Amino acid sequence: MLLLRLALLTTPLLAHDMWIEPMTFSPQTGEIVGVKLRVGQDLLGDALPRDPALIRQFLVEDSEGRKPLVGRDGADPAGFFRVPAPGLLVVGYSSNPSAVELGADKFNQYVKDEGLDAVAALRAHRNETGAKARELFSRCAKSLVLSGTASDAEGDRRLGFTLELVAERNPYTLRAGQDLPVRLTYENRPLAGPLVVAMNRLNPSEKLTARTDNNGRVRFRLRPGGMWLIKAVHMIPAPAGANAGWMSFWASLTFESKGS
Amino acid sequence: MRFSQILTASLILLCGGAARAHEIGTTRVAVLIHDDTIYEVEIVTDATALAEKLEASAGAALPSGAPADRLQTLLAGFDEIFRRRIKLAFDGSEVRPSIEYSVVPPIDAVSAAAATIRLTGPVPANAQNFTWNFGWTFASYAMTVGSATQWLEGAESSSPLPLTSVTAPPSRISTARRYLKLGFTHIVPYGLDHMLFVLGIYLLSRRARSVLMQVSAFTVAHSITLGLSMYGLIAVPPRIVEPMIAMSIAYVAIENLFLSELKSWRIGLVFAFGLLHGMGFAGALKELGLPRSEFVTALLTFNVGVEAGQLAVIATAFLLVGWHCAHRDWYRSRVVIPASMLIACTAAYWTVERLSL
Repeated sequence: MLLLRLALLTTPLLAHDMWIEPMTFSPQTGEIVGVKLRVGQDLLGDALPRDPALIRQFLVEDSEGRKPLVGRDGADPAGFFRVPAPGLLVVGYSSNPSAVELGADKFNQYVKDEGLDAVAALRAHRNETGAKARELFSRCAKSLVLSGTASDAEGDRRLGFTLELVAERNPYTLRAGQDLPVRLTYENRPLAGPLVVAMNRLNPSEKLTARTDNNGRVRFRLRPGGMWLIKAVHMIPAPAGANAGWMSFWASLTFESKGS
Repeated sequence: MRFSQILTASLILLCGGAARAHEIGTTRVAVLIHDDTIYEVEIVTDATALAEKLEASAGAALPSGAPADRLQTLLAGFDEIFRRRIKLAFDGSEVRPSIEYSVVPPIDAVSAAAATIRLTGPVPANAQNFTWNFGWTFASYAMTVGSATQWLEGAESSSPLPLTSVTAPPSRISTARRYLKLGFTHIVPYGLDHMLFVLGIYLLSRRARSVLMQVSAFTVAHSITLGLSMYGLIAVPPRIVEPMIAMSIAYVAIENLFLSELKSWRIGLVFAFGLLHGMGFAGALKELGLPRSEFVTALLTFNVGVEAGQLAVIATAFLLVGWHCAHRDWYRSRVVIPASMLIACTAAYWTVERLSL
């Protein structure tokens, strides 16, 4: 199912997306690529400089294996990698949890904005709808970078993040009129139900949204041109002793769509 | 004080603990209050990111890679939109600042252009506190007010900041008064060794000329080494200076037992001892610390304070014993000799004690 949602920037959302923006999505072989981390909404982002306290994993994976991204603490771009050979490269960033506390109204609105219906239902069931909430959120961001010509023999890879979006086709070989299947996994198993949102740099307020099916899958028909961000949020009650009521995981996937 | 002197970058490291870590962006905000009358808020942020947000709020398309000079014009052109998401208030009443925008080109191909936005205006009369809100960033940022820092999320209001926390550096008069007092108390009552040395000088002869000549030589000498030490031109460790000071006291007191007239070599010796005591004063003054802005004032007034302390010791000794007894036959046998012996014994004990430390 495909839905269209319009959001206006004049009503800022309470929780922010986080995504990876490489300085180029189509580097030459041997090129050194700067990788920017961005936090924001509607693809309007602020730089997140490299923070060793937050980084759990920050890496690039190609056909030869995995390498950590090098960088200087406090710097933006947060990391750099060198393209060793032509092919599709998967850049990944996963963070340690950050804590945030929101008042009841703000938290309820945020849960609604992100389509976290199960959380809203659980809060109502526990009679907590009027209570403030403390949450630990973690980031699971990925980006697909293509050096050279695209091939269907190559594709996105699972990095093993807690929540992860995996493109099931190489987005760089998509033709107009073809769908991109994307799978959402939680702890390496398909996750059914969450809202997945896709937005494009050329018109970020126009959003494609769909909920994952029983196999954790959504399909988007993406217009050609511009950078795409696909994102999903999953929230669970925090385990005892976490000093928070909820834990959330923010998965994102960015890539560039070639012009038509 | 200039903004560049406010260290904000180093504070980023203060945000520790993985589970408590914030997503810290590149925005920084510094607040200064000048003479309680003018406020100045400086925002340093990513120019392109801000321009994109302003354009989106205005309903325009996202610009692509505008150069620094165009970004500056662009930001200034969106002034009214920019004001919608900032809030400055004194005691809860919002004020409208004057805003200047400037954009510095990036330092290299991968860095972002930085916008410096300066908000200024008069502080309302009798204002007690200041509140701040900046809604143009999605990341956490540090706001510094004087030496205090608050971490804020984008669009989060600061807690009310008391304006008294932004204090001006101490004035010259208050520095002078403070160091004058510190110099005096370094002799009376805290500097028993220096007091005994001055008493030793006083006890040598009943003639006023004798006291005057020795005190002058001592003052000139200790002023020289105090100044040279404080400017870092000479440095003798306390483990050498302190026992020698004790020995100089013992020497002066012992010499009093054999000598009752001022000799020229005695003046020379007192001068040499003055050089030693000056280094001792410098050690004490370094422990107290000198304000960078009023270094000379503090140095001179400390020295004057030391002098006043010494003169007070001599004046007290003269009033207690000299005035009544100095011309008696028994003055030397019953006052000078026993007092000098007592001083010599004390100083000898100190010498041993300080050498063993």
